[in-house]
Amino acid sequence: MKKFNYTFLTLASLLFSHFLYAEGSLSKDSLEDLLNEKIELKSQVGSRDTAKNYLDSSSAVDVITASQIESSGQTQLTDVLKYFIAGFNATTSSITDAKDHIVSFTLRGMSSDQILVLVNGKRVHTSAIFIENTGVLSSGTTHVDLNTIPVISIEKIEILRDGAAAQYGSDAISGVISITLKGQNSTNEITTHAGVRKEGDGSHYQLNSFVSIPLNYDGFFNISLSGDKQYQTQRAGVDRRVDPADLHTHVGLPESQTLAVVLNSEVVLENNIVLYMDTILNRRDTQSSAFYRILSTTRVQYADGFLPMMESQILDYSGTLGIKGSFIHNWQWSLSNTYGYNSFDYNSKDTMNYHLDPNSPTSFHLGKLIFIQNSTNFDLKKKLDNFTIAGGIEYRYENYQIKAGDPASYYEDTELDIKSGSQGYMGYTPEQKVDASRDNYALYLDTSYKNSKNLNAQVALRYEDYSDFGSTQDVKLSLGYKILPKLLLRTTLSTGFRAPSLAQSNYSHTSSALTKNDLTEEDELLQKGIFTVDNPVSQSLGAKALKPELSKHLTLGSVYQFTNKSSFMIDAFYIQVDDKIIISDKLAPITQEQIDIFAAYGVSTASYLTNAVNTQTFGIDIKLNNNYTFKGGATLNSILWYNYSKNEIINFNELLSEGRAVVIEKGQPGHSVKFLNEYTRGKFNYIVNLNGYSKFYQTLGDTAYKFGAILTVDLNINYKINKAFDISLGANNIFDAMPDKWDRSNEYLGYDGIIPYPSNSPVGPNGAYYYLNAKWKF
Amino acid sequence: MNIKGFIILLVIITNMYAYQLEDKLKVAIVGKIAKFVQWNKPATKNFSITVLNTKNQFFKTLLEGKRVNSKPIKVIYINNINNLKDSDILYISQNSSQNLQSIFKAIKNKNILTISDIRGFAQRGGMIQLYTKNQKLKLRINVSNVKAQNLKIKSSLLRISTLVKENK
Repeated sequence: MKKFNYTFLTLASLLFSHFLYAEGSLSKDSLEDLLNEKIELKSQVGSRDTAKNYLDSSSAVDVITASQIESSGQTQLTDVLKYFIAGFNATTSSITDAKDHIVSFTLRGMSSDQILVLVNGKRVHTSAIFIENTGVLSSGTTHVDLNTIPVISIEKIEILRDGAAAQYGSDAISGVISITLKGQNSTNEITTHAGVRKEGDGSHYQLNSFVSIPLNYDGFFNISLSGDKQYQTQRAGVDRRVDPADLHTHVGLPESQTLAVVLNSEVVLENNIVLYMDTILNRRDTQSSAFYRILSTTRVQYADGFLPMMESQILDYSGTLGIKGSFIHNWQWSLSNTYGYNSFDYNSKDTMNYHLDPNSPTSFHLGKLIFIQNSTNFDLKKKLDNFTIAGGIEYRYENYQIKAGDPASYYEDTELDIKSGSQGYMGYTPEQKVDASRDNYALYLDTSYKNSKNLNAQVALRYEDYSDFGSTQDVKLSLGYKILPKLLLRTTLSTGFRAPSLAQSNYSHTSSALTKNDLTEEDELLQKGIFTVDNPVSQSLGAKALKPELSKHLTLGSVYQFTNKSSFMIDAFYIQVDDKIIISDKLAPITQEQIDIFAAYGVSTASYLTNAVNTQTFGIDIKLNNNYTFKGGATLNSILWYNYSKNEIINFNELLSEGRAVVIEKGQPGHSVKFLNEYTRGKFNYIVNLNGYSKFYQTLGDTAYKFGAILTVDLNINYKINKAFDISLGANNIFDAMPDKWDRSNEYLGYDGIIPYPSNSPVGPNGAYYYLNAKWKF
Repeated sequence: MNIKGFIILLVIITNMYAYQLEDKLKVAIVGKIAKFVQWNKPATKNFSITVLNTKNQFFKTLLEGKRVNSKPIKVIYINNINNLKDSDILYISQNSSQNLQSIFKAIKNKNILTISDIRGFAQRGGMIQLYTKNQKLKLRINVSNVKAQNLKIKSSLLRISTLVKENK
């Protein structure tokens, strides 16, 4: 009987639940009650159709709202995404050259440059930073610097977990992060944030303001300002090269200060024409360090040792100016131009060039990297009864520059055949200077059909022609079918590509390092370098011109909406990438020809970018979302999200060391889980989150080291003092979970070395973080 | 409670509360607004709501037959303003955003309440505009336009709406 009751209740609930909120319920509510009802979350990404309930999308889409971002207490965009998205990974690292100055991120275990980022629907330019360190996440890539976008300016983030190159072009392989800036009807606010690590270091302060000025016909002019100061954390081990062993090198979060301004505006004219613009301006100064240089009796300058400090000034700005409207028969049109600029100005201080001793400068300008991107788009869209037809053309121009550093930062004495760089990082030489450009045209068409009852189908086509490597054609087919009113089955099939970035095609850099000669057992200053594929060094090693990465995608999923407030999503995915671009291993010359060429360029080892491997990535996302309202008005919002992502190398196109293969296949946690809970009652709001990550591997040479699974807990308590003010007290990783240390050690890297923790850990070595937020709405 | 029982309870609980579909909620709000408005026209048998240029069936399923001021609601769908017969409420969909001025001209002095979710509607000559803020629907009312059509809105509705004072 009991069994019968359960079964009966379940069936009755499932079958009749959608009638519970049928017409009768709404009719009984008062107008005030109706105005307090939340409407469904809508998404736009992955379709040129009008925004629709994200749970009805034929691709896997997630939405993060401004209100969720506020509740989370997170202050950096990468932290927000890591907080909400299972399978999103973001890391910081130390003593990894330019990588110290940018937070790299991945989605579903793939590469950072395989994620497309949009702001207000327009492509965001990447950073100029090329990550040449092969030991870190995102090695060999240039990717978007997400943290240039202050979170106070964001209204909504949509994450498309699907390939979308047929809609947006290059890069949209592992997914698309689409950010909508706050628009009309947004509330003015000032927020402050102050926090500190459990260790007492890493203080972090942020002050933000957002002001919206309403314009005629619901137009707006919004201004966001954000100032941020991050002090460094220190997680280095003692330096056993000095006696007595002591702490000399800095490992942990770098010190940084950031100022950001965001403008977003729409001016609506009498005739319904809308002029729109947005601008994001960000200036970030960061200070990190290289390894400590120990004492030397043969050196006059810094004879007792020194710690080279690496300083960067990153300037990032982007702006869109556009006009949109509709003309005869409701054809909607939009014409826009988006300009993006990122520069990385690299300097060092408290350092020297050994060969210039005793007269070496102690500070150097190491060079400057610049990336510029300009996109012009014209779009058309027409909604017919059940069809939406959209299409457009795009012209994009890109430019990448490397400017040389001070001559002393890359000193060369041709008579004595000496090449020597400033310690910490060798400056870019005049030979490495580059000013490379390319452009591309794209033509795209996106049609969707929506049967009002249960069918949603979409076909997207895109043709693209690049000036440097030719054309591509991509297609995406999407199908969503509701077999029950609440049960959606969905699938997508698409092709995609990622054009080699200009940096990947044009970046070169040499560095010098003291290396022990096995024969003489004496330290030698040896040069190693990364070279462009057309450089004679690379050519002697067999380098070929870079080709685009080509991808194929298949997703299969389902969404069950218990109600519009509770849903269950399950999505499996398969992505095959051919000709993935990576940095080759550091190769030594073997043939006499190679030896001669290497000698001419003064390097002992060399690497270059190459389409080295074919990979496949598969996995699954399972997400349960439940929002429950208790009697009396208290609410509990819970998200349980599991992600599994597995990378496999199908075959090597070129020789790849065992260690590099391990980084691609197992360098990130395969399993991640998020259990997010937000309980609101009266003036209080409580958050308890659990974040779990499975093991991952990092390598040294060909040896892989395992780092175990880790679980962190986040807490936040928010109190609304009144309608205008609220404060919150929170902790990220409150139980101070730390990643495993390296299961090996030498003086530099390992459990007993200067760097005890892995650079690619999703949790990082900085430990618990406690913070206080205050907000004033006006 | 065993696991099975818990799952069933979860299913039941999750079926108890819901976000509302925006299209549906808009219609429900339109139905409620009628109770806060006084028309100044001869009595008719039905309370009529005319829906212009949309097939939103929630007007039919949610409002048809319900009563406003003791009169049953009759919903009429039209695609062209020239097909408008006398009506108490005219709901103008976004598909008509390009034709607002001709629509207002056609209904001038007909004592019809206009409601729409078209951007800037309340400033463009409309009376009650639905807009979204923080994932909720809100009302924006242009009192001048309401008065100009010889309609009266109760202060209790004005209190929960934002007001546009000038018709620009």
